[in-house]
Amino acid sequence: MFSGWNWVAHGFYLLFNICSLEVSGGLVQSCGHIIPESPVLALGSNFTALCILNESCLDFGNIYANQIIWKIKNRVVPKEQYREINRTVSSVTFNDTSSLATPLTCNILADGQIEQNIYGITVTIGLPPEKPKNLSCVVHQVSELIYPMNCTWNPGRHTFLDTQFRLKYRWPQENFPDCIPKDVNNSCTITDVQFFVNLEVWVEAANALGKAESDPLVLDPIEIVKPLSPHNLSVNSGILPTVLKLSWENRISAAVMKLKFNIRYRIIGDTNWMQVPPEDTASLRTSFSVQGLRPYTEYVFSIRCMKEDGVGYWSDWSEEKTGVTTEDKPSKGPPIWRIIDASHTPASWTVHLMWKALEPFEANGVILQYEVTVRAKSSLSSPLEKCSVNTTSLTLKLPNGTYEVTVIARNRVGPSPPSVLLIPASNSKAPVKNVRTLPKDGKLWVRWTAPNSYVLKYVIEWCLVSNSSDCIIEWQNEPGNVQGTFLKGDIKPFKCYLITVYPLYADGQGSGQSVKAYLQQDRPSKGPTVQTKKVGKAEAVLTWNHLTVDEQNGFIRSYTIFYKTVDGNETAVTVDPTKTEYTLSSLTSDTLYTVRMMAYTDEGGRSGPDFTFTTQKFGKGEIEAIVVPVCLAFLLIVLLGVLFCFNKRDLIKKHIWPIVPDPSKSNIAQWSPQVPAKHNFSSKDQMYPEGSFTDVSVVEIEADDKKSFSEQDLKPFDLLKKEKSTSEGHSSGIGGSSCMSSPRQSVSDSDEGETTQNTSSTVQYSTVVLNGYRDQTPVQVFSRSESTQPLLDSEERSEDHAGGGDSTTQRQQYFKQNGGQDETNTDRPCFERTKQITPANEGDLVGFAQLQMSGQSSQPLGLGLEKNMQEPALSDVLQTSTEGQTVRPEAVGGNPPSVDEMPKSYLPQTVRQGGYMPQ
Amino acid sequence: MAASDSPSAALRRRDLCSRGIRLAGKMRSDVVDLLDTYVERQGLDASASVVAVEGVPAAAVERWDEQTGTQRLLENLAAYRAFRALLAQMLEEQREQLGEADAALGRALAAVLLQVSAFAYHLEELLRLESHGPPSEEGASPPPPSHLSLFEKKLRGLGVLRELAQWAVRSARDLRQIAKPSLGSSSAPSLAESP
Repeated sequence: MFSGWNWVAHGFYLLFNICSLEVSGGLVQSCGHIIPESPVLALGSNFTALCILNESCLDFGNIYANQIIWKIKNRVVPKEQYREINRTVSSVTFNDTSSLATPLTCNILADGQIEQNIYGITVTIGLPPEKPKNLSCVVHQVSELIYPMNCTWNPGRHTFLDTQFRLKYRWPQENFPDCIPKDVNNSCTITDVQFFVNLEVWVEAANALGKAESDPLVLDPIEIVKPLSPHNLSVNSGILPTVLKLSWENRISAAVMKLKFNIRYRIIGDTNWMQVPPEDTASLRTSFSVQGLRPYTEYVFSIRCMKEDGVGYWSDWSEEKTGVTTEDKPSKGPPIWRIIDASHTPASWTVHLMWKALEPFEANGVILQYEVTVRAKSSLSSPLEKCSVNTTSLTLKLPNGTYEVTVIARNRVGPSPPSVLLIPASNSKAPVKNVRTLPKDGKLWVRWTAPNSYVLKYVIEWCLVSNSSDCIIEWQNEPGNVQGTFLKGDIKPFKCYLITVYPLYADGQGSGQSVKAYLQQDRPSKGPTVQTKKVGKAEAVLTWNHLTVDEQNGFIRSYTIFYKTVDGNETAVTVDPTKTEYTLSSLTSDTLYTVRMMAYTDEGGRSGPDFTFTTQKFGKGEIEAIVVPVCLAFLLIVLLGVLFCFNKRDLIKKHIWPIVPDPSKSNIAQWSPQVPAKHNFSSKDQMYPEGSFTDVSVVEIEADDKKSFSEQDLKPFDLLKKEKSTSEGHSSGIGGSSCMSSPRQSVSDSDEGETTQNTSSTVQYSTVVLNGYRDQTPVQVFSRSESTQPLLDSEERSEDHAGGGDSTTQRQQYFKQNGGQDETNTDRPCFERTKQITPANEGDLVGFAQLQMSGQSSQPLGLGLEKNMQEPALSDVLQTSTEGQTVRPEAVGGNPPSVDEMPKSYLPQTVRQGGYMPQ
Repeated sequence: MAASDSPSAALRRRDLCSRGIRLAGKMRSDVVDLLDTYVERQGLDASASVVAVEGVPAAAVERWDEQTGTQRLLENLAAYRAFRALLAQMLEEQREQLGEADAALGRALAAVLLQVSAFAYHLEELLRLESHGPPSEEGASPPPPSHLSLFEKKLRGLGVLRELAQWAVRSARDLRQIAKPSLGSSSAPSLAESP
C-alpha cells in the first residue's frame, strides 16, 4: 500500500516537473526538440528526424530516449523506424516521405504509463520545380512606340509548393529587372523591349526544394514582332470600272521595320475572300490599286502586314472597308426564250418572249431598258418590229413562220451585245437523247446526250408538277458544249418536276425531250384507299385510285396489298404501280377480310386506310344450281300431282265434292211446239215415271258451242245417248237436267248422212215444265231461247265453199263432207259411240265426246290439227271410262235414227250451276 | 582585322553593322519624336537655337570620308557613351522635376537611353571584331556640371537630344562605310539600309 502511494506521488511529481518545471522568465521550456525544424521534403525521398531531450529533464523524471514515441498526427510510427542514438536522442526514419503527414510529434511515456508530448514539427512535402520548357516570345505592338514582349512557357509538373517563376532577360552588357508573372506561372510580359540588339531570355523556377532554369532564348525582338494592322483604310473608285484604289496608314515606323502586306477582298454578300497576289504587295507602301474587279460591284477590303522579310508574325486583319466600282456596258445580252401558244388560231402564234434579267456581274450597272427586235426570216423585206420595254417579257401575235428575235439590254454606259433567238416554224431538228436527272449536293443535275449536229446552246425548261397549281415554266440557257447542268432555281425536295431539254441550232431547233424528276424523294404522304369492286366466294376485285402528284412525294415504284382475316396472317401482294385494280383470289368463303394498300417510293411506303369486306357464302351459279333443280323437282311433283289428280278426279270428286244439283236453278228448255210428236219416249218411260215432265222441246245448238257446256249441261246427253236408239228428246226427268241432247242427236244424225231440214238458224231452247221432284212443286219453266247466235266461222267458210244455198242445206252438206273425210278413221265413230253408254255421272265426257264428234264433222281441213290434238286426250279419257260400262256399240251403229226422228238438241245453259245428275 | 577574316566573324560583323544601322535609324526616329515631346513638355521653343553644350560630342566632323573604320567606331563609341551618361542624367533630372506625372516622357527618355546603350554595345562588339577591343569607359565623358539652372538644364537636354539625332544619322553612315567590303570582309555585301 505504501509502495502504491509512493508511485502515484512520484508520477505527479514527474508530471509537475515536465509541465511546469523549468519555468524561468515566464516561459515554459520544453523538455526536448526535433531536428530539423519544419522541413520541406521532396516527395518520395527519405527523411530522418531526431528528437533530442534536454538534459535537465533527465534528472527530474528519468526520461530517456528509449521512452520516446514518434507519432504522425495521432498515429504511432512503428518502432522499427526508431533508433536510439544515445540516451537523450531518438531518431525516426521514413524511407518514403509520401507516408508522412503533419504534425510529426515526439512523445514520451512517463514511467511507462502516461504519454506526454515533447515536441512537434510541421512537415511540408512537395517537388522541386521542373525545368521550364517551350519558352517562346512575341512582341505585340500596342502603339507606334510601345512594343511589349510576351513570353510563355510550360511550367512543368505541379510541385505542391510555392514556386516562383521569373522571366529573365538581358543584353550581353546589361541586365534588366526580372519579369515576374502575376497570377499565372506560365507567361510574363516585358513592357518594352528594344530592337536590333540580341536579347537573352530565360525562365527561372524556384521553390523550397530547388531551382530550375529553362534553356535561354537569344533573339532580337524585332524578329518576333506582331505589328498593328494598317489603319484608316479607304477605298476609292478609279477611272476604270474594274479598279479600286486602297489607301491606308502603317502604324509601325519604317525605321523599326519595313513591311509587306496582304490585301483581301470579296464581293459584298459573298463569303469567299479573294486575295491580291502577295508578290504585288511585298514591299512597304501605303496604297494599292486592286484591278480586275467587276464593274458596278461593291467590294469589301481588308489588309494586314508583317515584317518585310517574313520574320515575325502577321498582324491582324484591318477593319473592313467597302468600295463600289463604276458602271460599264453590260457584258452580254440577256438569255432569251419563248413560249408559243398556237391553240387559238392555226394560222398565227401567240409568242410569249421572255428573257432573264442579267446578273449583276453581267449587267455592270443599272439596266434602264431592253430593246426587242423581231424579224421574219422568210421574207427579208418584211419590216422589223422593234420596241423598248422595261420588263423582261413581251407577248407578240405573229403569223406562223420563222422569226429571229434580238434583245439588247442597255444601262447608262451603253448597250449589251445582242441576244438572238431563232423561232423556227417547226422543231424539226434532232432532239437530245437520254435525258436523265441526278440529285447532287442538294441540287438537281440534268444531263443528256447531245445530238450529232453542232448545237448552239441548250434551253432547259422545268416546272413544278402539282395538282394545286399550274405548271409555271422556268428555264435556263446552257452553252452548246455541255451535256449537263444544275437547275438554277429553287428546287424543292419531295416535289415532282417536269424537265425538258431543247437543243438550239444555228438554223433551227430540236424538239424537247422531257423527264420527270425529284430532287429528293420521301415516302408518300398517304396510302391508296382501296375498295372492293366485286366480292365473290373466293375472290375479290379491289380497286383504288392513283395517288395525286402532291401525295406521291416520289416515284411510286409499287403497290403492295395486305389482306388478312381476323385471326389469320397477313398476306402481301405486290402490284404494278400502273394498275388500279387487282383481284384477290383463293379467299375463304364467307370470311371477313381486312385489306389495306401501301404505295412505295424509293424512300419507303405508306399504308392507306383499312377496308373490310366479307366473301360470299355461295359462288356464282351455286344458288341457281340448287334452286333451279329444286324448283324443277317441285314443278314436276306438282305436275305429277296434278296429272294424278286429273286422272283420279272422278274418284276425288266422288269423295270430296259430290255434285248435288240445285233444283232451284235447273232449267229445262221448252220444247219446240212444232215437234212434240216426233219424240219417242218409249224407252224413257221405263226409266222415268210417267208424267215426270210434260213436254220437251228439242233445241239445236251449234257444234262449237261446247264452250258453253258444263258437265252438268252435258250430263243429260248421256241419258239421251243411252236412249238414243229407242227414244229421242226425252228429258232427264228432273227439271234442271232435262238434258235434251237433241243437238247432239241431230249432229249424230247428220253423221249418218241425214240432212237436217232446219230452215232456221236460230236455236230453240225448250222450256221444261216440271211436275216437281219428289213432291216438290215444279216452278221452273224454261223458255225457248230465241238466240240468234251466228254460225261458226268454219261453218260459214263451209258455206262459202259450198257456193251458196240456204244455211241449213249448206250445213248439212258440210257435215256430210266431214263425215266423208273422217271415214278413214272408221273406228273412231264407233269407239266414240261407246262413250255414250258411260254412266250418267260421266256424261260430261260423253257429251264432250259427242260434241267432239260434232266438231269433227263440222271442222274444215284447216282445223284438223286441233281435232287431232283433242283426240288423244279424249281417247284416253274414254279408255279409262269404258271399264265396267255396258257397251252396246251395235245399238248405236246398227240402228241409226232417222232424220226425222232426231230430236233437236238443246243446251240448258243455266244448268251449269247446281244442275242435278242422277247417280 | 584578323578576326574579320573568318566567315563567322564576317557574318557577325555584317549582322552587327546591319542591325546597328537599323538601330541608329530607329534611334533617330525616336529621338526626333522625343524632341517634339521634350520641347512641348519642357515648355521650350522648338526653334530655339542651342549653342554647343559642354560634354556633348559634336557629330559634325571634317574629312569624314577619310576616317578609318576603327576611327569611326571609336568616335561613335565615345559619343554614345557620353550620350548614355547625359541621357541618364536627364532621366534622373526629369524624374526629380516631374516625378511620375509625365511618365510618357520618362519612358521615351528611357527607351532612347536603352537604344543608345544598345548602340554602344554594337560599337564595342565591332571594335572587338576589329581586334581592338573597346576602350575603357573611365574618363570617357566628364560628368556634367551640376550647377546649372533648371532652364539651362532644359536647354542642355534639348541640345543633347538634337545632337543625338545628328549622331544617329552619322552613325548610320559610319556603319555603312564600315560595312563596305573594302573596309571589312570582302565577302560582306554592301548594305543600303537607310533610316
